[in-house]
Amino acid sequence: MIFSKKKITTAYTVEKCTKCGTLTKRKFHDGDVLFTKSTKCNSCDGLTRIEKIFGETIEQ
Amino acid sequence: MNFTNFDFDQLFSMSDDTNPLMMLVWILPIILFVFYGQQIQLFVTSREIKKGIAKLDSFREESRTELINYLKNNLKVKDDHLKKIDKFLDYFTIMPVDMDPNGIVDKVQHTVRSREDYTRTHVKSMSLEMSDIELTKVQTLLEIASSLQMIYKIINHMFLTAKKQNNYPLILPLQMILPFIMEQAEAMKDAIPAFKSGQPVGDGIGPMVVGKMMLEHQKENIAFQTSLSQIDFEGRKLFLLKAEGPGSTVGRPADALETITMKNKIDAIIMVDAALKMEGEDSATTAQGFGAAIGGIGTERFQIEAIATSKKIPIFSIVIKQSVKEAITLMTKEIADTAEDVRAQVFEMIHENTSQGQSVLIIGVGNTAGVPQ
Ligand SMILES: [Zn+2]
Repeated sequence: MIFSKKKITTAYTVEKCTKCGTLTKRKFHDGDVLFTKSTKCNSCDGLTRIEKIFGETIEQ
Repeated sequence: MNFTNFDFDQLFSMSDDTNPLMMLVWILPIILFVFYGQQIQLFVTSREIKKGIAKLDSFREESRTELINYLKNNLKVKDDHLKKIDKFLDYFTIMPVDMDPNGIVDKVQHTVRSREDYTRTHVKSMSLEMSDIELTKVQTLLEIASSLQMIYKIINHMFLTAKKQNNYPLILPLQMILPFIMEQAEAMKDAIPAFKSGQPVGDGIGPMVVGKMMLEHQKENIAFQTSLSQIDFEGRKLFLLKAEGPGSTVGRPADALETITMKNKIDAIIMVDAALKMEGEDSATTAQGFGAAIGGIGTERFQIEAIATSKKIPIFSIVIKQSVKEAITLMTKEIADTAEDVRAQVFEMIHENTSQGQSVLIIGVGNTAGVPQ
């Protein structure tokens, strides 16, 4: 079809620091599970927890 | 030849009935359409439908390949798995007779659960190292592949029958439902990657809202694949219920409700679920209402309504609108972003509809793939 554009969906993971509340968005890695505590926070010594996992679609 | 004074009027003259060439030019197509109109329509429509069927065939093949590859790459499967999978894909379910509707919900539930139990045991027997979470994944992938196979078979059957009998009216309903079927089938095909990698889908928004509230509280297994936490909130007792994540399951909220109400007095039920949006409505908008918000074949809803009615418990619902595709593919940003707001709405509802000392049951309804608690 002429008018349909190719759509690409990328999965993202948003981490939230349990201490200072900083949000970081990065690409989804295999094994990411919602609500699990993962990495050290960049701005303080707290731990981050996965807050959201979602897909964003862009048309090309 | 001089083209400038060519007499168009004479050639295409409507009034001149005597011109035999003109008679043919007008009458031939009319005769053609009167006697062969259906065949022409059939030909044009067939081409469109054939394209759709070819697409459905590729979806069916693709989903089967994905399932087999997943089993091969992630779980050590025994050699006879191909034969087994093809057998599973062709399973059918015969719904109970509905001439006498009394007691039909139990019968439907029994049939559906037997099927689930059977596939669960037999999928599990394919590999020694299959964890429960892997098992739910494989079961979901199997469900998708067998649904796509069934859709392909039915549509192809309808088409071939119409074609064989050269029957245009028979092809009309097919032409009408095909766009809806294609939408469903495409959504199912697109659902595979999310389930494979254990990501939350749009339908998981209900469990996501309740799952976060359950974090860091004690959980108990209250019914098959269903998890419960009890917490205190401003003088009220909250029972938080969702299917057990992060496996791909919807759990058995109705059975859980039955167990809970046997031991506790519940004063209100709040259900949070994804709902199909209407065409033209925006995705990820929320709406509140009354009654049990829960999809599926209807047995769970029936059971929940029955218990709520007999115990006179009001049911409130919050739904998050989304399309068929959004509901079963990787959760969109817009839907994920509503989680905080919906949680706030739940607390507001508790405030408005209950008083201190009362108990509220909050159910996060939906597929809990990738959503723990
Ligand atoms: Zn921090």
